[in-house]
Amino acid sequence: MDDSVGSPQGVVDGAGSVDRRVVLEARGIVKRYKRRRVLNGVDLVVREGEVAAIVGSNGAGKSTMLKICAGLLSPDKGRVMVAGSLGYCPQNAGVMGFLTPEEHFSLFGTGRGLNFEEADRRGRKLAGELDWEISGKVLVKDLSGGVRQKLNVVLSALGDPDLLLLDEPYQGFDHGSYVDFWRSVWSWREAGKAVVVVTHMLNQLDQVDRVLDLTPEKGRRHQ
Amino acid sequence: MTAVVRMAGMTLRELLRRRAVLGLLLVVPLVFYLGRYEETGQAIRFATLGVGFAVSAAALFSSVGGREIEPLLALSGFRPLQLFLGRLLALLAAGTGVAVVYAVIILVGQDVRSPRAVVAALLITALVAAPLGLLLGAVVPRDMEGALLLISVIGAQMVVDPAKDSAKVLPFWSTREILTYAVDGPGDGSFAAGTTHAVGVTVLLMSATGSVMAFRLRRRRHLRFV
Repeated sequence: MDDSVGSPQGVVDGAGSVDRRVVLEARGIVKRYKRRRVLNGVDLVVREGEVAAIVGSNGAGKSTMLKICAGLLSPDKGRVMVAGSLGYCPQNAGVMGFLTPEEHFSLFGTGRGLNFEEADRRGRKLAGELDWEISGKVLVKDLSGGVRQKLNVVLSALGDPDLLLLDEPYQGFDHGSYVDFWRSVWSWREAGKAVVVVTHMLNQLDQVDRVLDLTPEKGRRHQ
Repeated sequence: MTAVVRMAGMTLRELLRRRAVLGLLLVVPLVFYLGRYEETGQAIRFATLGVGFAVSAAALFSSVGGREIEPLLALSGFRPLQLFLGRLLALLAAGTGVAVVYAVIILVGQDVRSPRAVVAALLITALVAAPLGLLLGAVVPRDMEGALLLISVIGAQMVVDPAKDSAKVLPFWSTREILTYAVDGPGDGSFAAGTTHAVGVTVLLMSATGSVMAFRLRRRRHLRFV
């Protein structure tokens, strides 16, 4: 069975951005899981100051595409170019339950070359933008699922990367947090970052610059 | 160096906060020890292998538990070697603490020819156990499979005759050799042979674990940063 998806025709392109620097360029991405071809020649180009959404039905390969872009998974064919640094936010988990959020800032900040104070300051600022005030020494395992996911978002953006890859990052968010999350995305776009969001929330697609629709051919609908 | 130390510090904190699991793991050597308390040699051997099991199991759980976060840390700038060395340092520190506690328990409760060799055997056991657990954690799909493998290794170590050449392929052969020296005297066991074996096994385990981690966290060929 070949439910080939995500060909270049699946991309809805924002206009008037060709003069901006390309931050993410994925070409001809092919990925199979055993005999099932999930991605078949997918292209995605995102420039600085752009937000791209990857949409599609369950199992369409949205997370697979994002992991390939992050270098966490190898495609069977295709290549990816990233200009600058990248941050990746997984769909869930990705944190250490017996550490506090501040300790996560410190640990991830070290990887980004930040000292403890700077990592803590940036982490708290990003958390504040998601309406999350960090208080006390609460272990991550004792946080709600939504707050844990906010921590993942904060950690992905901690080093101020040029490219942010966010895999359905708002799972467990309440409505207010969801709105705050998109405000953060738009502020990153204004700051010249390239942002790719895997989403199934189609109501946000009118506010992104590009849409990569990975829905299988028969059911594909463009924005 | 900062990255290794920070990784070690956070791993150690995470480990020490899992008090229930740590408590249960620490009881294992004590149960082994008390079960053979009246037979000095056996009591010390069982307790020391129990320490090996406890430290290896802690390393195994730590390694499996870190699988989701390590790719993200690598993306944030950590090198695979820094992540591996940080985790190893943390487990060696924890293992040393456990070895010291059991050295005190054994030396207070038993009369041995060479107390120093008993302490050395416990420390060497922790040295071998940490990378053994990390290796198991790196190659098994889940911690359950790793725990079963570890039980098999410790069980084999307890029943196989250490005088056989084939026994030397087991990771804790050094423990039994040094303890034989400590309890029965130089005529029956060799401290140097035990130490050499431990160093060789540790280097082998560390190399294997480091290689598996480097492969798992490698930069994929399709991705190019400019």
